[in-house]
Amino acid sequence: MKLLLGPGSRYRSFTVAARKGLLSRAREQAVLVLGLVFLVPLGAQTPPAPPPPAPTPAAASPVPSSETWFTGYIDLGNQWQPGVGGSYDTYRSIVNLGAGPKLTGADFTILDPKRRLFDRIRVRAYDWGDNPYESLHIFADKQGIYEFNAEYRRMAYFNDLPSYANPLLGTGVALDEQSFDTRRTIGSFTLDLFKGRTIAPYLGYDRDSSNGTGVTVFETSADTFAVPDALRDSTNLYRGGVHITRSRFHITLEEGGTTFKNDQNTYTATTSAPNPGNSPAPVFGQTLGLSGLLQDYGIRGTSIYSKAIITANPFSWLDLYGTFLYSAPQNNVNYNQYDNGNFVLLSQLLFYTSEQYLVTAAAKLPHTSANLGWEIRPVNRIRILQSWSTDRLHNAGSAGQADTLLGVGVSTSIINALQSTLATNYNQTDTNIIAELNRNVTVRGGYRYVWGNGNDAVLPAEGLLTVNRENIRQQIGMGAVTWRASQKFSLTGETEIGSSGGAYFRTSLYDYKKARALGRYRLSNSLQLSGTYNLIANSNPTLNANYKFLVHQESAQIAWNPAGKKYDFEGSYEHCAYHSQISYLVPQTLTSAESIYTEYCHTISGYFNGTYKGSKLAAGGSAVLTSGSRPTTYYQPVVKLSVPLRKDVGWFAEWRYYGFGEAFYTYEAFHAHLFITGLRLSR
Amino acid sequence: MALAALLLFPAALQGADNKAPAKFGEDYAGTATCQTCHEDLYKNFAQSPHKIVDADKRSSWKGHACESCHGPGAKHAGSVSPEDIRNPDKLTAVQTDRICMGCHLNQTTQSGRIQSSHMKDSVSCVTCHTIHADGPLGLVARAPEKVNKLCSGCHLQVMAQFQKPYRHKIPENAMTCVDCHNPHGSTRPAMGQTFAANEPGCIKCHGDKRGPFTFEHAPVRFEGCPTCHEAHGSVNPRMLVRHEVRLVCLECHANLAGVTKPAYAGVVPPAFHDLRSPQYQNCTVCHQKVHGSYVDRNLLK
Repeated sequence: MKLLLGPGSRYRSFTVAARKGLLSRAREQAVLVLGLVFLVPLGAQTPPAPPPPAPTPAAASPVPSSETWFTGYIDLGNQWQPGVGGSYDTYRSIVNLGAGPKLTGADFTILDPKRRLFDRIRVRAYDWGDNPYESLHIFADKQGIYEFNAEYRRMAYFNDLPSYANPLLGTGVALDEQSFDTRRTIGSFTLDLFKGRTIAPYLGYDRDSSNGTGVTVFETSADTFAVPDALRDSTNLYRGGVHITRSRFHITLEEGGTTFKNDQNTYTATTSAPNPGNSPAPVFGQTLGLSGLLQDYGIRGTSIYSKAIITANPFSWLDLYGTFLYSAPQNNVNYNQYDNGNFVLLSQLLFYTSEQYLVTAAAKLPHTSANLGWEIRPVNRIRILQSWSTDRLHNAGSAGQADTLLGVGVSTSIINALQSTLATNYNQTDTNIIAELNRNVTVRGGYRYVWGNGNDAVLPAEGLLTVNRENIRQQIGMGAVTWRASQKFSLTGETEIGSSGGAYFRTSLYDYKKARALGRYRLSNSLQLSGTYNLIANSNPTLNANYKFLVHQESAQIAWNPAGKKYDFEGSYEHCAYHSQISYLVPQTLTSAESIYTEYCHTISGYFNGTYKGSKLAAGGSAVLTSGSRPTTYYQPVVKLSVPLRKDVGWFAEWRYYGFGEAFYTYEAFHAHLFITGLRLSR
Repeated sequence: MALAALLLFPAALQGADNKAPAKFGEDYAGTATCQTCHEDLYKNFAQSPHKIVDADKRSSWKGHACESCHGPGAKHAGSVSPEDIRNPDKLTAVQTDRICMGCHLNQTTQSGRIQSSHMKDSVSCVTCHTIHADGPLGLVARAPEKVNKLCSGCHLQVMAQFQKPYRHKIPENAMTCVDCHNPHGSTRPAMGQTFAANEPGCIKCHGDKRGPFTFEHAPVRFEGCPTCHEAHGSVNPRMLVRHEVRLVCLECHANLAGVTKPAYAGVVPPAFHDLRSPQYQNCTVCHQKVHGSYVDRNLLK
């Protein structure tokens, strides 16, 4: 991208901002709230056995006084990236590791011998610095009083691939018109109180937010224009609930809610040199162009949700499970768009120079899910599992659109009022019988029936079809066997065969077979072999689809861990084969064509670990080689070395290499080396 | 079937039930006796969450934590023979799970157990949980690297998919498998995690795709993200299931509506775009709000 864009390019600002984004990252944070209620129809159940007056010795302190207050490690270092060969944008879209000082990892526990505010705090943090993913996890507890979990992550989402969404590729301009450079921050905080007691309340707060820039497209009737895009959204989730736990049953009740906002906007100042768009050819002798644009999505949303969960074992041979879940998110939209330039409304052959487009809309999505199940053990070696579940989701939306077009001698207003609905009702019953034939062999047989319907409509109708109605009907047989011939050898296999009388989409599972197998063999105390096999074969023979899909994957793994030796090795190999074939009509000619997708992959990964006088060496990596529709190679070797310097201090160094290549998109290839070195402080 | 089972097998047929006896008899030895020989295990145990079995005054196994899993230990304490004590490691997966479920069944964690393929395929609790492990949080892997390694021990082909270039950041340990999957079972397909009660767990990190949208794109709601994306990893950009965006779209939007029954959603449009033009080869150039639009029925804005 940097090679193909000239210094005066209107896209350059995004590129520069994207690179700056690699060096400066945003911040976020958090807070809390709650709710509850419900009754339990299980009063008649057997009460728990009273605790016996056991002649017990005094329980030992879980925190022996000899323990240190701090245990763990902190790794601090610096990362070098000497440069990226090939496509820097693809490198950032896939790897995106930068350079600079960093906290590569920390994992430590702090104990409070006096247990005033906490018994222990455990902290894990990884990849802080110029990395696309940074995480922090904190756990603190005080036994019987509280447990606190906090998780905080910052993820960089960069995507700018020259081959993707690029209508101008043939002209030499390599611009991904659906690219973005954003940073997402995710926080999750949970406080559990009085864990282990009969009534244990909890509170939680989650936040997910994103902001950044990108390139998107401004769409008009006859042309599309790549424009800079500012993305900003956030979701806050507040939750609170209570666990009610007795010996024979348990109930969890939770109430929660969310707030949501999305303030995406695009803005280009009015210029004298209009953006010619993706179709620069004149229309009826007139050159179209975008001179200025303001697009502002003002989305605000709220939701509530309720959750009730019950588990019970009223008798030793019966376990019951039940869940009821309800959520109802809703959004309100105030969309504003002002654009000027030279445009045409093809449906009316109307040229205009400015437009004001306002949309007020709302949508609400009540969603109910429930399931009920039980496990019966009529005799010791047989279990019967039955469950029924339903999922009902009904969205209703409405939009008022007012479009005013102005031009020389033109003033036209187009007013629309639209209603939309989307609903799906999904139901499933599932029965499995599991029998332990003997100590070594367990078999399972089962049957699942799926039925439901969906519809999707926008009114008033426009074009060829705006109302869809579909039904699903599936009958599925299941079988499995687990054979543990000895402590050394085990084999698990399962299969699922489904037959449909209706499906939502042409590519949905219709008449299908799934099979899976996992085998393990311990050749000796130091050597273990594992293998897996996966198969999915799906076909939809109806004339409307004529779909065939087949994927199978074979994997093998070897783990060599010689007893008493200071080295070990673990390696795996996977082969996969995908083949998909389905007919469709080519839009411009309405002639039949086949969409064929194939992928054959070989994936090899392996790691050797060795220790010598306290120093550790780990070397390995992975290589992916695929052929078929998008032949790709991707190499990721890594070598790590750590050497103890003193009792509490060690030195570590790491080398990584990333090599990526594509046969059809050679301009997206890249290769990069990364070096990290630093000190480990441990105790 | 449940009713039939009740009729055929009277309640007298009892399965394994790991409840504490009303009174510990002479066949029980007590934790202190176990500690005498198994000092190392006891030290670990004293730091593990299971210490509550011994320490909590409400515990029905108070003072007999070891025997809550291993059964009465007095005979073993006398003979020192491994034959005289229950070793969960040598039991079948079902029997091992019954021991764990004696205390843990009635917890929120187990609410999806009936749907769990782990449970159905006899993957017992101790496959992932190390009961005698060291440390305060040692019962199961917590560090991302260890969690992912644990899962990949069985799911070899999934870990291979994660080696592909376009992927969720599992190999980097920026995420863990349990961010998306609940290993104990879930009401969602593939034991998926949930967000806000019953929404897909994907929304937890992709909140901008949550909606509800004024104009929905049906596959997002009907069959979810895997309709178009390979969640574990792909050689196709944006983790798409096809190498060209237009084929992702055209395989459903095939212009074949009403040719035969049954009907499928979305077969029409797409209009009559000339796919030979690069402008129309990636549908999302114009139909950019492919996950759903707040504003435009054709998902253009």
